[in-house]
Amino acid sequence: MNESDMKRPPGRDQAFGLRVERWDRGAVVYATGSCTMEVAHRLGETIREVADEKRPLILLDLSNLEFIESTGLGGIVSGYLRVRRYKGEVRIVAPCPSIRHVLEVTRLTHLFPVFETLEMARKSPMVQ
Amino acid sequence: MNVGRQQGASESESRPLNTFKEITVDNDLTEAKRPEEAILRDLSAHGYDENTTFAIKLALEEAMTNAFRHGNQCDPDKRITVRYSVTDDRIEIQVCDEGEGFCPGDVPDPTEPGYIDRPHGRGIMLMRAYLDEVEFCSKGCSVRLVKFRKQTP
Repeated sequence: MNESDMKRPPGRDQAFGLRVERWDRGAVVYATGSCTMEVAHRLGETIREVADEKRPLILLDLSNLEFIESTGLGGIVSGYLRVRRYKGEVRIVAPCPSIRHVLEVTRLTHLFPVFETLEMARKSPMVQ
Repeated sequence: MNVGRQQGASESESRPLNTFKEITVDNDLTEAKRPEEAILRDLSAHGYDENTTFAIKLALEEAMTNAFRHGNQCDPDKRITVRYSVTDDRIEIQVCDEGEGFCPGDVPDPTEPGYIDRPHGRGIMLMRAYLDEVEFCSKGCSVRLVKFRKQTP
């Protein structure tokens, strides 16, 4: 538990954050905090924007994401559909156990491979 | 009445409504956080663990989003009413919208191969996956959510 968690009263969300780092053939989308219903649309918008830059590899770093609901999951799926138009891939990186469970129970792990580290996700060969 | 109950779940008796707290909010997703925060505070006060808190937060966000978007059709003049009871042994929540209702049986399973790459339609499935009971009432305008405290051996 970090300092901001200790100050946060029960029921209050950690602010949702998105940051994108680009390289020549891909991008890392860092999603942090709580991807809750009133902000979740931003996740799909960001992934689709990056996909439209026609970078074939989008890595979604979830290592600091503590919550996601179905609109956020749908945003990842819509980003996946967009990047596939350009024969690209979306890869999930380092979800915490509760987020990984959500991905497994919805069987979205069948759509997106999950990697332990950014380096592993970046180096793994493209399927297509 | 259209009832979509989680298969295999034991049916528990509804508690008398006078033991419930009630919060009514405008049909707005930011407003919809108010009952969630109140319920999660009650969970914390009753010592529920992180996994239960995650499950309730997820199911409640799905129920509120469904009420806002599918029930109330994003209409800002409509409202969402949440009634809830948090005790040491269980959590029960009812989320009611002012829409036309729906038949839960008409919602396809989003984990099936033909539906898995659709961006929408996972809310009801997630509620059922994380809770002990999920029951739709009032032609689908109300959903009753129940989770029991996990018994430690």
